[in-house]
Amino acid sequence: MALRLLSRRTLGSRILSYRASLHSHATSFGFQQVKEEEKSKLVGNVFTNVASSYDIMNDVMSAGLHRLWKERLVGKLSPFAGMKHLDVAGGTGDVAFRIFDAVNSVKRRALRKVDEASLEETQIYVCDINPNMLNVGKQRAADRGLRDNKSLVWVEGDAEALSFDDNSMDGYTIAFGIRNVTHIEKALAEAYRVLKRGGRFLCLELSHVDIPVFKELYDLYSFQVIPNLGELIAGDRDSYQYLVESVRRFPPQERFAKMIGDAGFEKVEYENLVGGVVAIHSAIKL
Amino acid sequence: MVRLSRVMLKEAGNAIDKTLSEILVCPLSKQPLRVCEKTKSLVSDTIGVSFPIKDGIPCLVPKDGKILEEDGDASKAS
Repeated sequence: MALRLLSRRTLGSRILSYRASLHSHATSFGFQQVKEEEKSKLVGNVFTNVASSYDIMNDVMSAGLHRLWKERLVGKLSPFAGMKHLDVAGGTGDVAFRIFDAVNSVKRRALRKVDEASLEETQIYVCDINPNMLNVGKQRAADRGLRDNKSLVWVEGDAEALSFDDNSMDGYTIAFGIRNVTHIEKALAEAYRVLKRGGRFLCLELSHVDIPVFKELYDLYSFQVIPNLGELIAGDRDSYQYLVESVRRFPPQERFAKMIGDAGFEKVEYENLVGGVVAIHSAIKL
Repeated sequence: MVRLSRVMLKEAGNAIDKTLSEILVCPLSKQPLRVCEKTKSLVSDTIGVSFPIKDGIPCLVPKDGKILEEDGDASKAS
């Protein structure tokens, strides 16, 4: 009897702390406390400032590893010709281009004898709330000769209020974007809404490291090295300070996995890369 | 150089406006959008809001929407 009372109390306090932590994500800008309405504007400023050096900084901060992580993400997606894919917070197009390349090479190899006109065209939508990031992406597309390619569609939009129809996407990816969203649960709900039945959800995000010693080294690198790199290369220490702080404030792997499940997804799994520096969460809408 | 490429981007954008209206929905009402060639925008008739298209990129962030007057003139959203 006493045991059951105890569990009910801990459940209640767990619900309260869960809601409190969601609220705390919505009102945290790195380690600072901000008003909920302010957060997206502050994040917007960060990305407007870093847009032009975003790709270079990624290479420097991760020693080029971010490329491998994105390859792994796209590998897990298993893109196919004719798919409708949505890449959210994908501004500069890293993930979108990889999906495009994957689809087009498979298509070219496998479909030499098939009437290509009968196949629906692949559509990769790149959605980002920041126009500067999208412009960098569009420019990169133009540099690759993909300026007029109908497969890549660039849209400015909010992850919490997507402008795509229900059950319209075969795949949804968000790489290094979800920790910048004010209300994670809204972004997850929207992801669930736009995916078709059988659609895959994939999230690549900086996450939490638990391994002793490595954790301390990683913290040292994050807080001592990265803001200095930001100042040196992007001329913007504060934005990169925000970046490393926002990683610490983001829910750890297990809790984020639970949030994905709460949004309605099934088969929620995650894979840690580099000891948890990065995690790929995946799920399916059934 | 940058200015030239921006002009090129703009021209490329005009061609795909029609395809966009078939795929995108209003982020607020989730209802279909209508392309308005005159104002270069996507209109959500259900709630009377128009979203701009800049450099071929539709701006469908909810706070960027402009509430339309009854006679069709665009005015700044509050």
